[in-house]
Amino acid sequence: MKLSIFMLLILITAVYGEGKAQKVSLSLKKADIETVFNAISKQTNYRFLYSDDVITRVGAIDITVNNRELKEILNHIAKHRNLRYKIIEHTVTVNVVGNRNMVTANGSQPDVMVTGKVTTQNGEPLSGASVFIKGGKGTTTNAQGEFYLEVPSLQSTITISYIGYVTQNVDINGQKQVIAKLENNDAALEEVVVVGYGTQKRKDLTGSITRVSGDVFEHHAASQLNEMLAGTVAGFNANQGATAAGGTSMEIRGKTSLGASTEPLIVLDGAIFGGSLRDINAFDIESIDILKDASSAAVYGAKAASGVVIVTTKKGKVAKPTITLSSKIGRAESNNQRRGLNANEYIAFREDFLRQVNPSVDYQFYTNPNELPENFSLDQWRNLSANPLDDNVQEWMARLGLFDIEKNNYLAGRTMDMYDHVFQKALRQQYDLGISGGTSAIKYYWSLGYDNNEGIRVGDQYASVRSRVNLDFKITDWLNVGMNTQFSDRNEGAVPASMDFYVNSPYGQLFDDEGNLERYPHGHSNTPLLDYYRRSVTDKKYNVFSSLYAELHFPFGIKLRTSFQPYYHESKYLTFTTISKKLGGLDSETPSGERGESSRMNWQLDNILSWNKKIKDHEFDITLLVNAEKNNFWSTSMKNKDFSPNQELGAHGLQFGSSPEIVNDDQVSTGDALMARINYNYLGRYLLTASVRRDGYSAFGLEHPRAVFPALAFGWVVSDEKFFKVDFIDRMKIRTSWGANGNRDIGIYAALARTGSNLWYNGSTTEVGVYTSSLQNSGLRWEKTTAINLGLDLIMFNNKIDLTADVYQMNTTDLLMDRTLPRVTGFTSITSNLGEIENRGIELTLNSRNINRTNFRWNSSLVFSLNRNKIKELFGDVGTYTLLGKEFNGEVPDFTNKWFPGQAIDVVWNYNVTGVWQLDEAAEAAKYSMQPGDFKSEDVNADGKYVDVEDKQFIGYTVPRYRLGLRNDFNFLKNFTASVFIRADLGHIGSYVDALNIGYQSNDRWNRNVGPVPYWTADKPNNEYARLNVNTGAYGGGLSIYKPRSFVRIQDLSLAYRVPVGIVENWKLKNLEFFASVRNLATFTKWPGWDPESGMTPMPRIYTFGFNLSL
Amino acid sequence: MKLKYILFLVLVPIIVSCSKNWLEPNPLSFYTPSNVYVDQAGFEAGLTTCKKEMNAENHGDLCFIVGENCYSDLAVELRESDWNKLTPSSSPRQAILKLFTNGYGYIKNANTIITRIDDITWDDQSVRNRILSEALWFRAYWYYRLVNTYGDIPWVGEELKEAKLDYFSTKREVILAKLQQDLEYAQEWLPVKAANLGGVTKGANSHLLTKIYLALGHFDQAITSASAVINGPYALMTSRFGVDASNSYHNLMWDLHRWQNKNASENTETIYATVDRPDAAPGTWFNNVGTASMRNYGPSYWKVMDATGNRATNWDTAAGDSLGIGNGDVRTNWFFRYGLWQDEQYQWDETPDMRRAKTNWIEMGEMTSDIITVREGSPNFGQPLTKKYYKNLADTTDTWFSWPYYKVYVPTPNYAQPWGGQGDWYIFRLAETYLLRAEAYFWKGELGLAADDINKVRARANAPLITAAEVTLDYIFDERARELFTEEPRHTEMVRASFIYAKLGKGGYSVETISENNWYYDKVMRDNKFFSAPKYTFWDNTATVHPYNMLWPIPQNVITANTLGRINQNIGYEGAQLNEPPLDVIP
Repeated sequence: MKLSIFMLLILITAVYGEGKAQKVSLSLKKADIETVFNAISKQTNYRFLYSDDVITRVGAIDITVNNRELKEILNHIAKHRNLRYKIIEHTVTVNVVGNRNMVTANGSQPDVMVTGKVTTQNGEPLSGASVFIKGGKGTTTNAQGEFYLEVPSLQSTITISYIGYVTQNVDINGQKQVIAKLENNDAALEEVVVVGYGTQKRKDLTGSITRVSGDVFEHHAASQLNEMLAGTVAGFNANQGATAAGGTSMEIRGKTSLGASTEPLIVLDGAIFGGSLRDINAFDIESIDILKDASSAAVYGAKAASGVVIVTTKKGKVAKPTITLSSKIGRAESNNQRRGLNANEYIAFREDFLRQVNPSVDYQFYTNPNELPENFSLDQWRNLSANPLDDNVQEWMARLGLFDIEKNNYLAGRTMDMYDHVFQKALRQQYDLGISGGTSAIKYYWSLGYDNNEGIRVGDQYASVRSRVNLDFKITDWLNVGMNTQFSDRNEGAVPASMDFYVNSPYGQLFDDEGNLERYPHGHSNTPLLDYYRRSVTDKKYNVFSSLYAELHFPFGIKLRTSFQPYYHESKYLTFTTISKKLGGLDSETPSGERGESSRMNWQLDNILSWNKKIKDHEFDITLLVNAEKNNFWSTSMKNKDFSPNQELGAHGLQFGSSPEIVNDDQVSTGDALMARINYNYLGRYLLTASVRRDGYSAFGLEHPRAVFPALAFGWVVSDEKFFKVDFIDRMKIRTSWGANGNRDIGIYAALARTGSNLWYNGSTTEVGVYTSSLQNSGLRWEKTTAINLGLDLIMFNNKIDLTADVYQMNTTDLLMDRTLPRVTGFTSITSNLGEIENRGIELTLNSRNINRTNFRWNSSLVFSLNRNKIKELFGDVGTYTLLGKEFNGEVPDFTNKWFPGQAIDVVWNYNVTGVWQLDEAAEAAKYSMQPGDFKSEDVNADGKYVDVEDKQFIGYTVPRYRLGLRNDFNFLKNFTASVFIRADLGHIGSYVDALNIGYQSNDRWNRNVGPVPYWTADKPNNEYARLNVNTGAYGGGLSIYKPRSFVRIQDLSLAYRVPVGIVENWKLKNLEFFASVRNLATFTKWPGWDPESGMTPMPRIYTFGFNLSL
Repeated sequence: MKLKYILFLVLVPIIVSCSKNWLEPNPLSFYTPSNVYVDQAGFEAGLTTCKKEMNAENHGDLCFIVGENCYSDLAVELRESDWNKLTPSSSPRQAILKLFTNGYGYIKNANTIITRIDDITWDDQSVRNRILSEALWFRAYWYYRLVNTYGDIPWVGEELKEAKLDYFSTKREVILAKLQQDLEYAQEWLPVKAANLGGVTKGANSHLLTKIYLALGHFDQAITSASAVINGPYALMTSRFGVDASNSYHNLMWDLHRWQNKNASENTETIYATVDRPDAAPGTWFNNVGTASMRNYGPSYWKVMDATGNRATNWDTAAGDSLGIGNGDVRTNWFFRYGLWQDEQYQWDETPDMRRAKTNWIEMGEMTSDIITVREGSPNFGQPLTKKYYKNLADTTDTWFSWPYYKVYVPTPNYAQPWGGQGDWYIFRLAETYLLRAEAYFWKGELGLAADDINKVRARANAPLITAAEVTLDYIFDERARELFTEEPRHTEMVRASFIYAKLGKGGYSVETISENNWYYDKVMRDNKFFSAPKYTFWDNTATVHPYNMLWPIPQNVITANTLGRINQNIGYEGAQLNEPPLDVIP
């Protein structure tokens, strides 16, 4: 039996002080014993400690006393109601007599008094900690952390617990004095979680919310928030960025839309943030809360269907100023060296290709005359040309169509690998400085950060300066005002070397003899460095995002918070292409420049009225919100070319060109919202959250500007129930929630028909032409996701293991999508609300504290998630259609977008490629108008034709079927910490276009344009990759090649050393730490492209070294 | 404490105050149909788009007219000559699928004007009627092209206001009849001379109507309509004119095909020509490249080698700017280059026909060519290019053939590579009107009158005249090839004629079996040896054509996107088994 935490709270808060015997006056009728004790506590400085059965045993009491001694009253009650009590210091422990008798009966010895002290690991006394004997008797510690307890035997075990600390069981083992040091519990239940327009204690949560602390990532190289989270949170799917700037898309739980964006909403310090994630400095992040289920997110209503990510930045605390300096320097390189064909392979490829496209020419025609087979003489070879050149090698090179540069370099034995000019070992730097502190009147936090990253491709770079000021002023005891403001200055002006470098021949050269950039390194096809050398780009972005607030505290716990959140964005994009021979320019080219300037001014106004009240065992938290927003965007872009008298002014003098063009694109949108929420709990055991939000948005202003989104959630702390008697479970909570959310993430003018315009010169004047470019849909409305979530939180084995499990089902209706129209309409699609998608999933998070010794600690965290989605309904067009070779009667699929009712959005509908037609299958292949070397696929109905609706099958999925993340943290030799994070995305496939060997991929004038992709030849057949210049025309509806994209990777590995406090103090520092880390150390995959995560984009591997210092 | 309540009173109203129109959408930088089609200027702006879109016929790499020649009796598409490899869903390079989808886009723009014409009150009904008539003409132009390329297709006659996915194919003849009706209305309201270039005239209308009458078998009406043009303010050009008039090296035919001369006021032969000017602002161009005429129609002569195995005359050498960087996309055959120009009297290189004059063509002959080796340091410097140094004669497919330089030479001031720049281009020219009337007479059996009309065109070109006995449909189309190469939609016209043959039941053709037996296929096999006797497999393609390829396939993605109806596929292509009977009325 344990006491409920709720009661403990009462005891802790009870007033106590020093004094002699106390006098009490009471006048109560039919009161329960609890009320009596409470009344006594109020008049004295005594606290009462008792178990639930005391209350039941006593029942109702009538008591009227005037100015009597406490002991006298207690004796009276104890006698009449069969209780025992003991006063130690100022705590009155009350027990039921029967219980004690039972203990005595079972035990062999009379009661023994044990004393003890409870402290933290640092030796600070813990007052108010609970100390129990198993069986019900117990007490609490006093202000010095001391306790006295009668135990039935000196062999008893006592349990010591304190909120926020790991519960300890102590075997007395004959000792009369117990010293217990409680260990801080990281996953403490008291932790406050941000829930949107407020906070909640983790223990009171009803929804599915995952919190990630900012310091988890402080040793890592990830430059953007979503990269930090990639793989670490169950149900949160983000990919790492591959560029210098970093950052890619993210998604929570699953794809809930076919047309609208499914990026989660970002809330920054309580304000909805419309800017770029790149503006948020990871250094400033205190914590990230990810709201996954509908009820948690529902307070954000119309914007929250894709989940919410709440970022909380560091705030000042009442303390002396602390200065923190963090510095990271790193090296990045591609984690996969995918080089093009080398010199020998190139020549072989040219021969193979020309033989392939010129089948009427003798096979040996293209063979190197020095490598002729024995039965083929040089004369025979020479006679294949009508007029062979005298020199055999020259003749051969001419047959291969090599360019002059190639011939010269071939003869001189000079080769090059363009890969080495396109890729580089990149330098990454990141420096951050933070100052924080405060007094009771002002709390402050200020930081300044500078990032400068090179990309792994030459010319890719990124730099940013970011600063943040968080201030909070306490004007009076009822008024706080403050602001959270961030500023960023990003420089994204990168001109990376082109990825089209495979086209260049290894016999080319980068510069000519005069040092000019070779436009065509081997005589054909641009150099991948053309833009890098001649194009200048300035791409600056300046952002200020601020939340200015005032918080008023009224009586009865009512609070009004008004905040105004302006967001200013200014961007400048200047680009200029200089034309000169030195930089690979051609005589016929003209210099050109473009200049785009845009600005954004968005604001939100939030008024939040909240009321927190506790009435006996009932606790309420009511939040009301009124919100309005307006988003303005202005953009101007200018283009010009052909400048006179010269191009020296670049993009700064576009007015000197001959063909100016101007484009304006201004936009405005507005929105508003009302929201009400109640959090209620009874005894801390039964939890309820209910909310409703009404949103308005001008994009739906034609017919459905507003929509309502309700939500409801329950939580039940089962382990607090009397009947719950599972020893190894410390705490168990069941959560369930239901709610609806919206998605409005489409173009703000998507509902309107748009008239496009063009210019035309009629021979005498310029006319403006108009045409309808998009169809109107005035009935456009919100996409709505209704979701249920069932969750379980378990803490087990004395806090050693905690497990959070969630299952969910989300149904999205009124999908915003671009519905494909037959092109006879003149349009390709119309934005519509149609159909339904279902997402279901499971998420597990398992944290365990595996080893916990002074010299070695090992914690691990395992996350697992899976999501299955299904298109339940599409357009509602019912009819007969053919699919998989069968006639169906039902809802017709969208073949264009490959959306099939009943199937997943990401299902792959394609021919099941079984291999490549081999030479002995020529006759078979010919039936399909194909030849050996072409792709062979399953012809399901064996009719000798590849027809998409008959022979295409569902062959896999493009989104990972299972996602796993395993993080292990080690703490050893006191001052060392190490962590390793392993991540796996499993079970999906990806389209590998390069395997098709079609069109642009091969040509008689250039190298194999897809790099190291094998190909079939009659001499070297294989059964996976087709011949050069493959024919896929026989595949109705087209053919794609898919390859497995599963991977396991060691994503992060880090090691840190904290200089011991004793040494650091000598240097007048508070803290000093050195660390080293590697990102993407190793990847295990069968994917043949650059990287299974980024697909056909090279992924960096980053080595980082750094230190953190504070004083 | 009081201040707190004052603040409360101040803040609460902020909470509640929101104006009524707060959520009204407010487009700032673009027009919507409701604020464009409000006056005459708006409708004229709609027509401007239609005029500009006519450039799609002849502008750009592998443009529509290129496709028309590539799948005809005159040429093959260099890299996609094998119809076995072209399916309703696969034709990456050519216009085969693009014409269908883009064509309906142009029809949509005309439909917007037609549907909205009575949304406003017109002060002057004749302005309304003229604008409506122009829109009807543009719509009819593209429908004429589509029904004579794809056969039965869906009729879309109105502006779309919401999603629609239940289209059905309508019979080709029903659509043609509707076009006839529209253009007969337009005839009354169109001007004799347009206010500006690009405007539609009575002449352009009559010319298109002539084709439609022919297609419907209304030969008398075709003759009347063609005669209206011939007797109108038009005349064949018979003397030198325009930009190069004083250059005695050239002849009248050269003048006729300079882009500067096509819309020139002194050119009395032009009935309708597109407008696209290199010296106008880039935003007004149809595309950045221009006509790409030198690219599309010229050979890759710049790959030809000299004795050292190096390129003898690359495109980026001095000659390249005027010769262009040909790509051999329209790989013309022997018939076009030689067969067409010789008769019992003359060999092709002796004919007095100005259209085959030495000054108008770049000759690449049996062994040598008009093009001179200009690579410095070449042992062959100054000598003509020769076939002698070819390593592999299959390579001559894209590099070695003569071409009608006078038709395709367009300077390229705005593009890095000399592909053929911006320029005006003929859509309808009086010479064709004569040949259309000749065709009408032919169908009627009045061969003498047919010969007269053909001779008008031949006489102007200084070609030997013909007699009535020589007039056949083949001859009329051969004359069209001689006169209208790079201008006429040749495949479209051949399909039209094939349907007439079948409809008349002549020559053993019938409408029922047209996918198995048709004049188009027979003429192609007669004259285009690439198909009937392929010599090389080039670019992995052995040129192949079947009778059913006369009608091009409807793009599969259009058929599948039309989930609630049935757009028929042409017989012979995969999917035709699902066809439903086409509509015989305009829906």
